[in-house]
Amino acid sequence: MFNYYLSLSLKNITNHKGLSVLIASTIGLGIAATMISYSLIYLMSKDPLPLKSERVYHIQLDNWNLNTAAILPDLPPEEVSWRDALNIVHAKKAKFQAAHAITWGMVTPADNNIPPFLGIIRATHGEFFPMFDVPFLFGQAWQNYPRDRVENVTVLSKSTNQRIFGGANSVGQTLPMLGQLFTVIGVLDDWHPSPKFFDMSLGKFYPPEDLYVPLQIKANLELPHGGNSNCWQTNIGDSYQAFLNSECVNFNLWIELSKQQDKMQFENYLEDYVQQQRALGRFPKTTQNIMLDVTQWLAHKGVVSSDIHVFFYLSLFFLLVCLFNAASLLSTKFTAMTAQIALRRALGANRQAIFSQCLIETIMLGCLGALIGFTLCVLGLNGIKILYPEFSAFITLDMTLLFMTIGISILSSVLAGLVPTINVCVLAPASYLK
Amino acid sequence: MKRNNQTHSNSVSLSRIPFLALLRTLIRQKYTFTMLVLQIGLTLAVLSNGLFIVSQRLEVLQRSTGIDETNTFALTSSGFTTSFNPENSIKADLNALRQLPNIVNAVATYAFPFSGSSDWDELQTSTGHNENIVPAASYKLDEHGIEALGLILVAGENFNADEVLWQTESAKTFPSVVIITAKLASDLFNSADWSTVVGKTIYINATHSAIVKGVVKQLQAPWNAAGKIESSIIYPRVIIRNSARYFIRTKPNTLQTTMVEVEEYLAASSQQRMIRKVQSIQSMKKQVYGPDIGAISILLVVISALSIVASLGIAGLTSFNLVKRKKQIGIRRALGANKTDILSYCVAENVIQSTCGVFLGWLLAIGLNIFLVSQYALPKLPLSYLAIATLCLYILGLLAILKPAIKAMNISPALATKD
Repeated sequence: MFNYYLSLSLKNITNHKGLSVLIASTIGLGIAATMISYSLIYLMSKDPLPLKSERVYHIQLDNWNLNTAAILPDLPPEEVSWRDALNIVHAKKAKFQAAHAITWGMVTPADNNIPPFLGIIRATHGEFFPMFDVPFLFGQAWQNYPRDRVENVTVLSKSTNQRIFGGANSVGQTLPMLGQLFTVIGVLDDWHPSPKFFDMSLGKFYPPEDLYVPLQIKANLELPHGGNSNCWQTNIGDSYQAFLNSECVNFNLWIELSKQQDKMQFENYLEDYVQQQRALGRFPKTTQNIMLDVTQWLAHKGVVSSDIHVFFYLSLFFLLVCLFNAASLLSTKFTAMTAQIALRRALGANRQAIFSQCLIETIMLGCLGALIGFTLCVLGLNGIKILYPEFSAFITLDMTLLFMTIGISILSSVLAGLVPTINVCVLAPASYLK
Repeated sequence: MKRNNQTHSNSVSLSRIPFLALLRTLIRQKYTFTMLVLQIGLTLAVLSNGLFIVSQRLEVLQRSTGIDETNTFALTSSGFTTSFNPENSIKADLNALRQLPNIVNAVATYAFPFSGSSDWDELQTSTGHNENIVPAASYKLDEHGIEALGLILVAGENFNADEVLWQTESAKTFPSVVIITAKLASDLFNSADWSTVVGKTIYINATHSAIVKGVVKQLQAPWNAAGKIESSIIYPRVIIRNSARYFIRTKPNTLQTTMVEVEEYLAASSQQRMIRKVQSIQSMKKQVYGPDIGAISILLVVISALSIVASLGIAGLTSFNLVKRKKQIGIRRALGANKTDILSYCVAENVIQSTCGVFLGWLLAIGLNIFLVSQYALPKLPLSYLAIATLCLYILGLLAILKPAIKAMNISPALATKD
């Protein structure tokens, strides 16, 4: 029986080719608009650290001046000072801890055929890599160095390794940069967390840096302060060391705990630390320290811009218009079929049979709509890549989105077809048979 | 007979439209009528809010920054050898650039509109802690800065060469004079007469003092950090770093050629540095406003697709209804209704449908706007946008029924006699 309904529906659809295509494309258009804006929200809110985002925390301490706020209305700065960064990292109270900052400097490969370039560098403690699950192609990262010791080692991104060493395993090679000789100890695999949660100062979807060096190198070589750098003291003196000794903040501080339950313990440690520093005359404000896990941090930073949410609501309205449109078109289609249906009723088909057949027909239209919608969605997302180049790193259609498109499309067509179907089923056949 | 009808049509009056019959028909087609009204209402809501957002974004795009945006470009010179002397390099480069025939002027600066980064200072007119503090983006320019950026001095004077400090980044020695923007001057001194501001003292970050030497008409901050985009202060300073950034203004219509010339010239002039990021200010502007341009494009696509879908819906439904009523129309024609009567019947039906939709649309549009205002801090929808969207929908509706209505008009009265 099902097969018969199927072939009958197919016949009906091909008989009213123009109308059917119009219904399916109306549904498809609405689906595409909604799915494009939804997939942007979905892709942007994806967890960049899925295995442990609830155990990795961003740390904020308020070392600001009594009468001002680092961030309005009265929030602590999002970075910490050099002193706090080192104190907390070297206290080793968490499973992993790392402070890091963006900087830059000239990279001058020994091979004269490779032109020197300005490398964007992340200066960081070594625990950055295991904490953020950074994938390595060759070699490995350094351990956190003790306060008084550091070596000239570096980790290259995959593209930097391609640029300098042609993609070969360069572990153990030396690389002249920043006026010194560095040893390559690791090469990363492709790595582009989106959003770039660990430091969004250059852009929420900005590509990661070209090279990585130990944090102390930044101080030793007096590398520039990239990213956000913020001071409330104005008379800190001229030297680089004065900046490091001051309350100026520039360093992103992140920790990973072994289990979420340790959070309270770490918060107590932070509070004790601030108290202890207050005794030394620092931390005049009593603002609460802030520890946000990755998900909370992304929500706090508003990674999904309000524009995208506005698009989403507008596209929902659009989908509704398309549904109402499809509903009236379906009603037209079924009304046009009244004579046929009346004949089938007269020949013994009951209401349920008519209903099932109409339902199958709408579902088929829904599938066609899904196909059109999915095609438009792919085209639309490519358009978005052109309009928003920074999004291009993470825009991909995954299985979840594909199934959602099909599901919503069929659901919409059934909803749109419901009332017309019922209307056509309750018709008394007699008057239409004349 | 036909001719007679047409002369008659000139004196068409509203009284010839059977409103009661019309309403009865509409009510009888409950379902399709509701669908149509809902479509029109939702379309109106999206259209008015969408157009409003588009117009706001366009306003942002067209906002002037105070600088010459069409004839300017920037580049970075990065020294990388140990013997590289950044101060000498900057001085030599700027001297050479200012000699080039197509260049109006050039200046070394890290901050300019669309560069995306700058320091912010807190300014006061007296040292007290409770005084009115105004944040301002800080620009560091030498005496060529005003001409190179294309700023307009409305009061006071430009810097002299001997007032300009050549300093490293961390140096805290402060210049004794500054130039500020007109908006900053009025925020600080509550005065619209710029000449009275010249010569007054301002305090910077509660520690340094400087005298206002001049006021420029407009110079927007490189980024809108404190919501004070018109608030900028210029210090007579040049910051010396290994990586210097030059802002260059060319004579009109020579930008493209000059950019190439300058890049080639600078690259050849020294082997101790590299020239990077040669980019016109226009293209930087495009990048900065990329999300706004994106939003405008998306909204326009949504609005036009929506209008097409809605009018297709109206057209489809009207023509279907007319097919159903072919015989009825034929009978009306046979009973004496002329072509204009049929046409005005169709138009009246459409206008009634649109009006119902428009009423619903106003409610939806205002509801949607209230939601967007509360959730995403969007401004309130001006009623003019409702009016524009309403007008659009009426026109759209009439265009949509044009073809079916003409078809209906030409239905032959002879149809009435057929079975």
